[in-house]
Amino acid sequence: MSIARVIRLINQMQADGVVERYAIGGAVGATFYLEPVATLDVDIFVAFRQQPGEIITSPSPIFDYLTARGGIIEGEYIVIAGWPVQFLPPTSPLVEEALAKAVTVEVEGTPAQVFTAEHLAAIALQTGRAKDHARLLQFIEAAVLDTRRFQALLQRHGLVERWQAFERKFLQGES
Amino acid sequence: MTFDLQRIIESKRAWRRALAQRPVSEKLAMLDALRDRTRAIRAAASRLNVSSPARPEDGIKR
Repeated sequence: MSIARVIRLINQMQADGVVERYAIGGAVGATFYLEPVATLDVDIFVAFRQQPGEIITSPSPIFDYLTARGGIIEGEYIVIAGWPVQFLPPTSPLVEEALAKAVTVEVEGTPAQVFTAEHLAAIALQTGRAKDHARLLQFIEAAVLDTRRFQALLQRHGLVERWQAFERKFLQGES
Repeated sequence: MTFDLQRIIESKRAWRRALAQRPVSEKLAMLDALRDRTRAIRAAASRLNVSSPARPEDGIKR
């Protein structure tokens, strides 16, 4: 069982042209910046190569590619190297931007594309579940966010009010 | 050793900071191990017919 193997296979899939671009998000993405966060799956955001005239993009080429290489489909997941992996299309302008601006981080010689810390934090704010708030607090406590970039993101994606509410609720009295 | 809560909290913060600064490859290997452990605990809990421990995805994830 190894996330490193998952990353190598996704890189190969990208090199073979199945997806145009990918980026790791979720708890695994956050682990690039924070302490490891226990999770049971891997979230990979993907941009598909859209065929002319195609309206709905299908994840079938991804599943076909990976099952031919040992992946096992389990519901919405495909299990690779022991990890259930979920492929997700960008569902908001914020996630689209996160995918476009993902950074490459070397993991023992293997490039891995991952959302920036600021995008992960903004997505957590936008998603807004309890676990997302906990994630956002981790980012703040770890002081890994570039404040200027994060604030610009909040402005661009209409998240300023939500951020102010978050500050009032969770950060009041913090130094 | 003391039960000075402030010191305990600070020590936990320091430990988390130290973990965060480990190389990414090491942290990803920790995720592999964490997942194995979580699955083992869940399996044991279900064998004992007790309610499952808190799922990590219900806590801090994604």
